[in-house]
Amino acid sequence: MNNAELLSLYNYDEFIHEKFGRWMRFDSSPPLGEKAPDFPLWHLDGTETQLSSIWKENTLTVIEFGSFT
Amino acid sequence: MNAIADKYAEQDVGSVFLYTHEAHPGEIYPHLTSMEQKFKHARDLRDVLGVMRPIIVDSLDGACHRMFGSMPNMTWIFNHAGIPVYKSNWTDSNSVENALIYFLDVSGRRKSRERLAPFHVERLDYRNQDREAFYRGLERNGTKAVTEFRQAFG
Repeated sequence: MNNAELLSLYNYDEFIHEKFGRWMRFDSSPPLGEKAPDFPLWHLDGTETQLSSIWKENTLTVIEFGSFT
Repeated sequence: MNAIADKYAEQDVGSVFLYTHEAHPGEIYPHLTSMEQKFKHARDLRDVLGVMRPIIVDSLDGACHRMFGSMPNMTWIFNHAGIPVYKSNWTDSNSVENALIYFLDVSGRRKSRERLAPFHVERLDYRNQDREAFYRGLERNGTKAVTEFRQAFG
């Protein structure tokens, strides 16, 4: 899968199972108790940060994943 | 979730919202095609829906979201070493607060030099399911979002 295909598939344009079902992979998500992988992320002003920078800020960090829709 | 963020901030609990992709794209909030659009939708999450926690935006291809299971509204809790200690495939404030109370107690016990060893537990939690409120939310995205959800789940 090239990047253009990935962008199109991940940002699906219709809520139909053929399009959203492939992304529901919670069962294969990283395990508890082992250090999580790090990723680049962005603040709303466009400045770049890292997931690791966020979890390092506090004893515990709650991260809710979601969107407007 | 905003209230929990405020309630536990003084106990060194951080709370952020990570913006992913449009789960139910509609005419008003369609699927994402650019980072500029993604930032705009994320700002609307704050300005229209009132998410007051810091909002962090994932890449357009959702690299972080996909790694953590791609669920539309999940919650994870990390410790300061980057180790996830809680993951939930759906966000429920009661479940999150219950977990925070437990882990803050663990932190206190460690500070008291109690010797603790981690173990795994599975538990089925329960969330409120207000279908009417959910449909009102879908209407904000556009009628297409409502139609597609009804066709998928009735």
